[in-house]
Amino acid sequence: MGLALFYVKKFFKIVRNEVLVLPSRVVVGLFFIVLLGLPLITQDPYIVRIVILTSIFAILAASWDLLSGFTGQMNFGHALFFGVGAYSSALINLHAHIPPWGSVPLGAVVAVLAGLIVGIPCLRLKHTYLALTTLAFPIILTGIIFALPQYTGGEFGLSGVTRFTNSLIGNYYLHVVTMLVTAVVMWKITDSNTGIIFHAIREDELAVKASGINTTRYKLLAFSLSGFFAGIAGGLYAHYMRIAGPSTLEVSMSFMVVIWAIFGGAATIYGPIGAVFILYPLLEFFRIWPEYRTMIFAAVVLVILLYMPEGLIHWIRDKIETECPRCKIRNAATRKTCRVCTAGLD
Amino acid sequence: MNILITGLITGSMLALLAIGFSLIFGVARIVNIAHTAFYMVAAYCIYYLSVRVGLNPLLSMLTAVAAVTVLGLLVYKFLIDPIREHEGAVLIATIALAMVFQEVTLRLFTGDYRTVDFLITGFFTVGGVKVFYQQLLTFGVVLVTLGAVWFLLMKTRLGLAIRSMAEDREVANLMGMNESRLAMITLGISVALAGLTGAVLAPLTVLNPYMWMEPLIIMMAVVVLGGLGSIKGSFVAAFILGFTEALVVFLVPKGAFLKGSVALTIMILVLLIRPEGLFGVSFEEER
Amino acid sequence: MKIMTLGWRLALTCCIVMVMCFPAWGRTIKIGVIGPMQFVQGKGHWAGATMAADEINARGGVQVGGEKMKIELIKADSNEFINVADATNAMERLMTQDKVDFVVGGFRTEAVFPMQDIAMDYKKIFIDCGAATTALCTRVAENYNRYKYFFRQTPFNDIYLVRTSFAHLAMAAAVMKKELNVPIKCAIVAEKAAWTDGMIKAAQATIPKLGMELVGTWQPSDKATDVTAELSAIQKSGANVVFTIFSASVGITFARQAGELKIPAAQVGINVEAQKDGFWEATKGMGNYVFTTNTYCRGVEYNELTTPFMDKFIKRFNETPTYTAGGTHDAILYALVPSIEAVGSLDADKIVAHLENREYKVPSGIVKYEKTKDGKPTHDLTWGPGYLTSLGVQWQDGKLVGVWPNKWKLAPDGPEATYKGIVPMKLPPWLKK
Repeated sequence: MGLALFYVKKFFKIVRNEVLVLPSRVVVGLFFIVLLGLPLITQDPYIVRIVILTSIFAILAASWDLLSGFTGQMNFGHALFFGVGAYSSALINLHAHIPPWGSVPLGAVVAVLAGLIVGIPCLRLKHTYLALTTLAFPIILTGIIFALPQYTGGEFGLSGVTRFTNSLIGNYYLHVVTMLVTAVVMWKITDSNTGIIFHAIREDELAVKASGINTTRYKLLAFSLSGFFAGIAGGLYAHYMRIAGPSTLEVSMSFMVVIWAIFGGAATIYGPIGAVFILYPLLEFFRIWPEYRTMIFAAVVLVILLYMPEGLIHWIRDKIETECPRCKIRNAATRKTCRVCTAGLD
Repeated sequence: MNILITGLITGSMLALLAIGFSLIFGVARIVNIAHTAFYMVAAYCIYYLSVRVGLNPLLSMLTAVAAVTVLGLLVYKFLIDPIREHEGAVLIATIALAMVFQEVTLRLFTGDYRTVDFLITGFFTVGGVKVFYQQLLTFGVVLVTLGAVWFLLMKTRLGLAIRSMAEDREVANLMGMNESRLAMITLGISVALAGLTGAVLAPLTVLNPYMWMEPLIIMMAVVVLGGLGSIKGSFVAAFILGFTEALVVFLVPKGAFLKGSVALTIMILVLLIRPEGLFGVSFEEER
Repeated sequence: MKIMTLGWRLALTCCIVMVMCFPAWGRTIKIGVIGPMQFVQGKGHWAGATMAADEINARGGVQVGGEKMKIELIKADSNEFINVADATNAMERLMTQDKVDFVVGGFRTEAVFPMQDIAMDYKKIFIDCGAATTALCTRVAENYNRYKYFFRQTPFNDIYLVRTSFAHLAMAAAVMKKELNVPIKCAIVAEKAAWTDGMIKAAQATIPKLGMELVGTWQPSDKATDVTAELSAIQKSGANVVFTIFSASVGITFARQAGELKIPAAQVGINVEAQKDGFWEATKGMGNYVFTTNTYCRGVEYNELTTPFMDKFIKRFNETPTYTAGGTHDAILYALVPSIEAVGSLDADKIVAHLENREYKVPSGIVKYEKTKDGKPTHDLTWGPGYLTSLGVQWQDGKLVGVWPNKWKLAPDGPEATYKGIVPMKLPPWLKK
């Protein structure tokens, strides 16, 4: 009893001292609470569906960020991992009759292999060369899929994939919790030693090499990790839609991922997730003007970029928080002095 | 013989598109995804002027190229220039721009397929292959344009500036060249080239608002294969991929749909051996 | 400033939504029309649906039990050519936001599969008016309890589609034999797509049986803009008939370039672009003598319903109805409404039980739903003389005319089909040396 009370007290202390002091942490906390509590407010299947799809794409966008945002290995063919994840978990589910909870991770493992297959030849390429080369991979795979319709279903895709569960709320929590967990895992990765090395590779690969770090290994690690999470997103998508089709590999899918991630702010993990949670429902909202939907969407992206080229979430964070010039600790923008070292903020 | 002629024609079209893309990348480091969207806009302009308004085809082509160039400059001035420093932002801005063009075209002309009249009708036969005069014309225009671009780059002061900017931006800037203005001029040339491609290609293709996606990929493949920023490289690579496509169509008729995939595979294979493309200058790590 | 306008927009939207919700006094029958609304197929869906709904509402509505109900159509843009996830969202929206009673439409198979699943989740009747894949209906037979709410209205399935085309090919060959007296050499040109694969295999097996020599198969991409390479190769092979299977823009490219280059071969088969009124303009007249299957053709009459429907449609929309337009129209006017009135309720299970056993007349023939050999209903369409046959149409000097079926029999002793307004097929003059 006393122990439980101790932990409850400790929890509240952490909330008060670590979360409530920074607006961004409050926002993240609210985000968790709202997402997890949404079914209490509404159980509208349409809204639930939108949130589920948004969560799936949020994993995808964050996984792009893990690779491209952090290590700077511009990947223009992220749809490859998504499609490989979707197709392989669908194939495993259909032919080996393994239920979704087994086929999705297996599909993600196949996507890791895809990440390595793409990553190894791309190690020598840099910048735009890398971006434009990776763009080619999903297209080549689409060609292969069309060439082997007896195994892949050609342009119709593989239909008849089973769902995790047919209950609305079950599906909701499954996808949302998976998204939150993978997001936290990805964020932890980027916050760890490995993440710092990823960051350093983007800033100056030569310097990292000179410090005796095997950058090749880390770049491949980034490719596999990113492939793994994108593969999970692809598997979830295939099982939720009950079909894995060539549309998962389209160029527009790759472009969309890049738009989401950069719109939110690259190299943050939370940026792309926030961007997907803004942009995807927004695109749905524009259904009230069906003819102008895509046009308005593109225009919104253009205009926001014009004012916030660093990304929307970055911009918001800079508005609500300031960095202490002395100790580099972040503070709420309303404070006059730093909460740690009491240096003046201006 | 078939392969030779088809390869030459496909290659020349690719070359025209790729050189514009390569130019603007070389000078301003802008990966302009909307490049082929400008080509689409030009094609639709010609359709509107020559079919709907009933203008002389030649005149409508010239108008279209001019209009697209102006459009390109305006877009650059107001949307791209302010965010030039943020590479990622520029990238997705051009994607969004292409989407806007696509949607506007879709609104104005619907998704129906459209076609434009040939400038010169008819065909002639070479070695058992029937060739349209229009294709010959396209080929001619490509050669003339390439000549003009080469002259501009190699023999004029502007060309010298563009080349030095492509070589080393910072030093060129220190030498007193106005980087922003030069980028704008180059973008104008680049978009004009895209418009010109639209003009000579429009009669040979079927117009629809999504037509910018298909050549985009293969154009990028050409540019990467040839080496970014290298005009000569783009030219050579365009013909390599053009011939590859022709070979696939003729040797594996059942696999004609695979021509894109095969071309891209070749690109990747070449890059494995030469990571900076065939003629790319392996520019120093920009810090 | 920007935030202000956004706020205003939101407020405005709320107002519009509220205003739109209010006039729904009295119960209406809500029918969702789903399709790619930016494209010809979706426009057809919507045009056919509005025409059927207006006709029913003009006569007072639908008699459901003791109540007269009006039909309310809800348009949903599936955007299915571009984004399959969008299509499923649109379907979910129809089911849960708009709470429709029935859904008609659909086109791209990859999108219709998940849309079918969603409609079945909510046990709503979904009538497919565009996808030809047999597997959609196989699901009905395999899992009747789940998929029984799915029906096909148009077109008949891909197996019958290709058999129709073989009948066309046989007729073209007969005409050529008679007029030119040469051995027939046939080339297959099909766009690369999964739906054509089965057809190509069937064609490769059937063409030699029809007494023709098969000289080769070409598969350009469905969006190819230049097929001169393929054309030169076809000419070199000596083919004088080209069996085409096209649904996308390559149909225009192929017809235009073949006509321009005067390739000495007749084009017979499926060319969806050639079914449209705009084909002549799109090929700049080079698509002359192109032959394709089609559902409607001005001047051709299947039965007494055809001409009134065609006249009304042409008067209202100023174009020949496409098969998606006709199918959607029939789905509402001839399939759903009579069954609703017969069972006197909107209960989906009762309507399914009634509809699947009906045999009814539509402007393009007679609809009867098929059963598998062991008697399981598939909700697929019966094909053949007396039921649905579709037409063979040919472009002759700027006009699309019907040329098939002309004394056509499915079995040697079966019934014969010829419709009113059919004219003889013509061969391109450049074929006769």
